[in-house]
Amino acid sequence: MVVSDGRAAETIRVWSHQGQEAESRALRKIAAVFNEVNRGRGWSVELTFFPDFQYTEKLAVAAAAGDLPDAFDLDGPLVARFVEAGLLADVSEVYPREELADFLPTIIEQGTIGGRLYALGSFDSALLLYYDREMLARADVSAPAEGKGWSWAEFVDACEKLKAAGMEPVGLHMNESADEWFTYAFSPVVWSGGGELIDVEARRVRGVLASEENVRSVRAWQGLFARGFAATDPVEPDPFGQGKTAMDWSGHWMARSHLKAKGERLGAMPLPMLAEPSAPCGSWCWAISARTEKRAVAEAWLRWVTGVKTGVVPTVRANGAVPSRRSAFAHFPEYSEIPYRIFREQLETSARARPRTAFYATLTQRFAAALRDISRGADVEARLRKAEDEVQRVIDRKTRSVAEVAR
Amino acid sequence: MTAWQRDFAKRAPWFLLPALGLLAVFVIWPLGRALWWSVSDADLLAPERARWMGLGNYSDLLTDPRFRRAFFNTALFAVLIVPLQTAAALGLALWVNRPERAWRWLRVVFFLPVVVSLPVLAVVWSLLYQPEQAGETGLVNAALGIFGIEGQAWLRDPQLALPALAAMSIWQGVGLQMMVFLAGLQGVPREQLEAAQIDGAGAWRRLVHVVLPSLRNTLVFVVTVTTILAFRLFVQPYLMTRGGPEDRTLSLVQYIYEATFLNLELGRACAAAVLFLTWVGLLTWMQRMFFGEEKS
Amino acid sequence: MKRGLTWRVAAMWVGSVAVAVVFLAPLLWAVAGSFREEAAIFRLDASSLWDVDTWTLSNYADGWRRAALGPALLVSVAQVALIVGGGLIVNALAAYAFARMTFRGRDGLFAAVVMLIILPVEVIAVPMFFTARDLGLTGEFGAAMAGLTLPFMAKAFNIYFLRQHFLALPVQLEEAAAMDGAGVWTQFWRVALPSVKPALATVVVLDVLTHWGDFLWPLMIGTRESTRTVQIGLANLFTQPPVQWGDILACAVMATLPVLLMFRWLQRYIVATQVQTGIK
Repeated sequence: MVVSDGRAAETIRVWSHQGQEAESRALRKIAAVFNEVNRGRGWSVELTFFPDFQYTEKLAVAAAAGDLPDAFDLDGPLVARFVEAGLLADVSEVYPREELADFLPTIIEQGTIGGRLYALGSFDSALLLYYDREMLARADVSAPAEGKGWSWAEFVDACEKLKAAGMEPVGLHMNESADEWFTYAFSPVVWSGGGELIDVEARRVRGVLASEENVRSVRAWQGLFARGFAATDPVEPDPFGQGKTAMDWSGHWMARSHLKAKGERLGAMPLPMLAEPSAPCGSWCWAISARTEKRAVAEAWLRWVTGVKTGVVPTVRANGAVPSRRSAFAHFPEYSEIPYRIFREQLETSARARPRTAFYATLTQRFAAALRDISRGADVEARLRKAEDEVQRVIDRKTRSVAEVAR
Repeated sequence: MTAWQRDFAKRAPWFLLPALGLLAVFVIWPLGRALWWSVSDADLLAPERARWMGLGNYSDLLTDPRFRRAFFNTALFAVLIVPLQTAAALGLALWVNRPERAWRWLRVVFFLPVVVSLPVLAVVWSLLYQPEQAGETGLVNAALGIFGIEGQAWLRDPQLALPALAAMSIWQGVGLQMMVFLAGLQGVPREQLEAAQIDGAGAWRRLVHVVLPSLRNTLVFVVTVTTILAFRLFVQPYLMTRGGPEDRTLSLVQYIYEATFLNLELGRACAAAVLFLTWVGLLTWMQRMFFGEEKS
Repeated sequence: MKRGLTWRVAAMWVGSVAVAVVFLAPLLWAVAGSFREEAAIFRLDASSLWDVDTWTLSNYADGWRRAALGPALLVSVAQVALIVGGGLIVNALAAYAFARMTFRGRDGLFAAVVMLIILPVEVIAVPMFFTARDLGLTGEFGAAMAGLTLPFMAKAFNIYFLRQHFLALPVQLEEAAAMDGAGVWTQFWRVALPSVKPALATVVVLDVLTHWGDFLWPLMIGTRESTRTVQIGLANLFTQPPVQWGDILACAVMATLPVLLMFRWLQRYIVATQVQTGIK
């Protein structure tokens, strides 16, 4: 095809994971409008969805074969590994500095490796503790002041009262099959207790993951199961919505359905903290292949899909996630209310990205396996130490191999 | 060599070429590549940067406790599966090897689980294995309860998880071996059976003296294939237990999959694949030695 | 005598039903779930099944749409038909050669082929993908369909399996045909092949089952939505939040029916009452 002014048309390939139905529909629409607007220049995107399940494998194999699409989305914590393999284009210059400041700090943190920006998202995520006001009242538990969270002791105390009143205290979604849930949902427990999962700079987990603080924090977490406050293997995907549990340790993605189920009864607060407030963040983000020959189009797409009106607002309207840009919040009146307000507050203050290390995939899988075993009663210190060893082995091998290349 | 045989032999290349050509392109060539990667430090995201590193991957694997654990689990799984599934399949085949229509439907029943996709069955069985919680219990425990057997936390008990997966796998796969046995049973000479019956031989003696000997090849075949399939265990633990609890269901193929796609250590994964193939190949060969070549 | 026989028949029926229940229960549970409202599916106790208010058909309609099952079924059928059709010819040819033809290095070559049986696709998926890419078998619809099917046509297992059945045929059959002036091809096509129909049917069933369930390979090869297979459509349901189990179970039922029908149809060949050998 040749466009009116005689230049050849440029179509870029774009891959995305298949999200919620409405979300995928929105993204298709976003791409269609992009193609419409850029018709004069002959720019267009060809958008393909792949199942979320094993999407990462799909990307990895495409990368291996030198067949990555021009632009694609990937899960935030994977950015580091792709950058290390030299697969992502530096997008620091795609936005002017002042416009970049419009993005939430967590989005910038997630996409920044070694001081350079490689990925930007149109939305972020948030995790908090939902509760049913009526059920809490029935057990004579008082929620903290709005916007505040409980200390761990207060949380445990509340669980105890709820259980004594014959209710299931809290759902932790331990039936989630993805490893990522465990790292995402419970890293805040570790961070809140003053610990880390990995020393990213030193590429070390040994002595970090099974540190004294972490053993203490994870033991506190294990207590929730040991004392019967949370189910180790629940069946129900949404016990809180079904009225089975009084509290729900869950993400922004449940906000709409919880509001619908509970209405005025729905309360929400930040996660309980051991020593300091802590929350996770991060989600899917967009990147450009370092090998693309149509860089201009790919960058235009990145700007489009993370642009406030062109990308962020329609996407967030569809998937109910947290907008990635401050100026987008004006389009969502619900952000003046609970639980939405907490999402934003958290992302602006206490939230932090999961470790931006090339070994994240290994780390999250071994950590998740450890948490599963620990929830069912495994010895905390021994189990964390085992995970530590397993991850460190992988890191050492890679580091050794890189050192040999240097030699 | 007769003229007939000579005539035949001349045509052999034409008969072999299509299949062997495809195998060469789509299996041998990739295997060769895997062999090269297995002695390199290839990274999945950048395999073109792979550099020679000798047998490092191999020696490292053999000392890796996780790899050994995967090997042990898979072998245990095979030990559980092979005799039980073979015997069950033979029993079912004998049971339904009757001409009336009703038995044909029973065959379909036994074959049904083979037809349903494993990911779906994995989900279904995860629920069936649920221990009692909040007054509700999974179908397995409920069924055992009828017989007064105490319920177990199947998939989360380190001792029980692998046997539970094995039980589910037998349920899922036995119909296939049953069909193979059924096909084999059609070759049992009817005259001999009738003769034995006339001689007053009971069912058991007919089985041992007539049926089993003529099923010999089929039996060897089923045992070999079941062993191989057992060693390829992957989907069930990958979806149902993620290799846990305490790594008790981590399988070899799962280890290789993890090494490839999670740790992105392509070289190491290929070395593990080569070890896997060598081991299963050796095992198959030993089985054939033990049972003897099939007789034609 | 008569009485004893009746008892035996009764016992056989009871036994059959008992075993059938064990085999069917998990599947019935799944099928029942496909007709129930989301909240009811996870009720583990069976008594809630009789609660008619929780029954629904909407899972089927929703699942069909959300998994885009229609086009996916077509792709899967085409994929499996190509693999099975192409595979049947090439594998039977090779198996026949290994069974009947004497040439130098035959046994070594055959042993090498047998070795390949043990290879699971997960283990060499990545190098295989490289080969497919080198041959240009990824990307556009036609190329991707070739990439989906060509690598799996020749199959060591099928060669091994068919060879066994060719070996079991009495050589006299073909010799007699040769005496009548039949060439090698005629002997293979008209005499040997029809005699191993049960084995061929078995191979077809095995291939259909294996490739109907393929997930990793179609995912790697396909770069267009036009080459989505059934399992990929199904996988979409597993991960599109909120996960609707009713839709998944309904789609699983719909995705299983074609294979089931095929099996029901082929089983008459697999278990022919008596293999016609032509020799008494």
